[in-house]
Amino acid sequence: MLSYSIKRLGLAVVIVSVAMLMLFSMIYLIPGDPAAVALGPRATEAMREALRVKMGLDQPIWVQFWNFFINAWQGDLGNEVLSDRPVATVVLEQLPYTIALILGGISWSVALGIPLGCWAAVKRGSWADRLVGVLSVAVIAVPSFVVAIYALLVFAVTLQWLPAIGAGEPGDLGDQLVHLLLPSLAVGLGWVGYIARMVRASMLEVLEAQHIRTARAFGLPDRMITYRYALTIAILPTVTLLGVGIGQMLSSAVFAEIVFARPGVGKLVYDAILTRNYPLVTGTVLVTTVIFVLLNLVADLIVGALDPRVRSRF
Amino acid sequence: MMKKQDFGVSRRSFLAAAGVFGAASVAMPRMALSQDGKVLTVRSYSDLQVLDPAYRLSLPEEDIIRCIFPPLIMPQSGDVWGWKAIAAESIEELDDLTVAFTLKDNIGFTDGYGQMTAEDVKFSIERIADPAMESPYAGDWAALKEVEVKDKLSGLIHLKNKFVPLWTTTLPTPSSCVLSKRAMEELGEEKLTTQPVAQSGQYLLADWQPKQKTVLKRNPDWAHEHGGFEEIHIIPIEDPATAERGFEAGDLDYTWTSVSSLPRLKENPPANSVVLEKPSLAYVWMGINQDNEALQDVRIRRAIQHAVDRETVVDAAYFGAASVGNGIVAPGLPGNRDGVTYDYDPDKARALLAEAGAEGLNVTLDILNQSERLTAAQVIQANLADVGITCEIKQNDSGTFWTLGSKDGDYFMDLQLVLSRFSMQPDPSWASVWFTPEQVGVWNWERFDNAEYKALHDQGLVESDFETRDEIYKKMQALMDESGSYVFLTHEVVGAIHRDTIEPGLKPNGESLFQEFKPA
Repeated sequence: MLSYSIKRLGLAVVIVSVAMLMLFSMIYLIPGDPAAVALGPRATEAMREALRVKMGLDQPIWVQFWNFFINAWQGDLGNEVLSDRPVATVVLEQLPYTIALILGGISWSVALGIPLGCWAAVKRGSWADRLVGVLSVAVIAVPSFVVAIYALLVFAVTLQWLPAIGAGEPGDLGDQLVHLLLPSLAVGLGWVGYIARMVRASMLEVLEAQHIRTARAFGLPDRMITYRYALTIAILPTVTLLGVGIGQMLSSAVFAEIVFARPGVGKLVYDAILTRNYPLVTGTVLVTTVIFVLLNLVADLIVGALDPRVRSRF
Repeated sequence: MMKKQDFGVSRRSFLAAAGVFGAASVAMPRMALSQDGKVLTVRSYSDLQVLDPAYRLSLPEEDIIRCIFPPLIMPQSGDVWGWKAIAAESIEELDDLTVAFTLKDNIGFTDGYGQMTAEDVKFSIERIADPAMESPYAGDWAALKEVEVKDKLSGLIHLKNKFVPLWTTTLPTPSSCVLSKRAMEELGEEKLTTQPVAQSGQYLLADWQPKQKTVLKRNPDWAHEHGGFEEIHIIPIEDPATAERGFEAGDLDYTWTSVSSLPRLKENPPANSVVLEKPSLAYVWMGINQDNEALQDVRIRRAIQHAVDRETVVDAAYFGAASVGNGIVAPGLPGNRDGVTYDYDPDKARALLAEAGAEGLNVTLDILNQSERLTAAQVIQANLADVGITCEIKQNDSGTFWTLGSKDGDYFMDLQLVLSRFSMQPDPSWASVWFTPEQVGVWNWERFDNAEYKALHDQGLVESDFETRDEIYKKMQALMDESGSYVFLTHEVVGAIHRDTIEPGLKPNGESLFQEFKPA
């Protein structure tokens, strides 16, 4: 297990380094002068040049990348162009909102997807199974921003049950949860379908296993066999799927944060790209990349710990 | 036999609880926030980043700065451009080169920085004018000679030369906001960003939640006219459609709307709300780069002017909410025109193209990636196709778009047609300044280089007679017409919506003045 963990950790470091290189290259290929955008129309050329120097844009690109790379590994993501605040501070202020949004999305997808998948597996071939299959494909096919807009129009604008914008008052957990309901539904609904299909397929495989047949022979209740013995094994592929799904939820979070005017890293990086606020773009994407890689690492390590076959294959 | 596990919540009780939750939600619709008359919740289109009057970046910041660092004067709300005194007890023009002011007594700075004095006014104004400070707003005080302190509360603003926009676009803006000299000197070279020190205005910045909310609270030590609400919550929402939905859901008391939403909102306004339509100071035009190889012949540029049906372009892009504009100077200001010197005449356009030997011309039209601009561009594309010009529309994000014509880039000579929108302060010099020869390759992307225009611009800055200024700025726009480099489209309109429980404080062009909002 130690060898497996070290190899996975090394791979994670390589992935983050490559991602940094790709990110840095991409943003410098985008046209646009960050100094002009930041300072506005009334700034003189001298002011714009001073800001370019301050941002290090007068340096050769490889020098800029090397400085960024070295500083980033030391935890220094630089300062934000406009307000001059540390990028790490700005990102860490916004990160909890996005984490809450993604956890909310995962909660929706797990809370609905797993029972639906189990139900479909238990009722294999019935109308319920077919209904879950159709619903799963339907929710997978609907983009998250469409869910966001319709959920907002129905529950916030028409019925006025839930708020349309914001993330709730800091310190008021109830208010924050109410503000989280619709955005997290938008982020997580598509994953209800993925998880339901994955759980159904796994459950069908596990329900045919010998130990389940033995449990039946012992006369254990169906509910106990399904939820205690079959589901605990069938859930394993879902853990890996969620690890990958977090990346997709991060991209969905951008839409949800814009549509619901929520703070978060998705909105932060979107605004930063529009204003060519390079330190903020690189810092934010780097932090989210590291989180994504770490979560996948954790998911892999959990699966490796639970399943010796995975460890031996690596 | 194993014991059956009891989760404590049966299917029936879960459904019953869900039903109760739903019924309770229906029975208790969410309430508008300002109904108690204490908290006003408004939308701004961007979050605050810099609270220093010398380095402010956006209009929403200006609104907040004016609340926490009082200006000598600020625009008055209503339909006519004017000003009202805030920090100044009195202020008057003694002659063309001298303005006398006396501060209100008992304006105090927070954080123990004492009373506001004329020394603070001198420091705040001269700080912006000082070239070493590199303030983008130094131009507001370009005519400043010095501020002379007469006594504790009064002083004289001396100008080097007459500067007519002083009373319209310098003094009523945050360029006259007063900071504490002592507090700023203690800060040293730092500028104020998101943590203000020594606040002294009608409101104090009480809380800033990045990307989520800015909270202003009434300044308990402000001894003069109070703002209308105890608290103002400012929510940064960039997308107007999101803000409109937020308003309809009851989360906002006031928001700007997109122009394209105005017809829908006017026809079917949300309950208990008022939809406003205000004339805008903005101007939208299609620029033609006269230094581009394919467009150097003025006949080709004039042909493009005649080819564009401005009425249809504006109608299509703004759903009938905006009318055609005829220049860069908005209605109500000296220099506003009733018409342009070119009409929609496709036959004339074809003839000019034939005369210039430019049949089958291919051009590109760069636009910002917004729906109104795209619609306008598509109509222009169809108009140009009608006279034999093939037009390719190129959409750009804002970061790219605003550098297209910059001489520091590598595209400014390749730029051909560009759809632009500028906004301005209520003085025509604010519109004309961007098209002077000094601005070629900076903001003058048409590369319009006309010495007579420049001379008229300089004349307009020192001419105070309304009629004469009217003639000056009309002549300047006629020169722009003659160059063939401009197709003027519209001044747009500003849409806004508010609860009927509040009375918004707005400039004549619809921009908000937070201190002036009051309960209805």
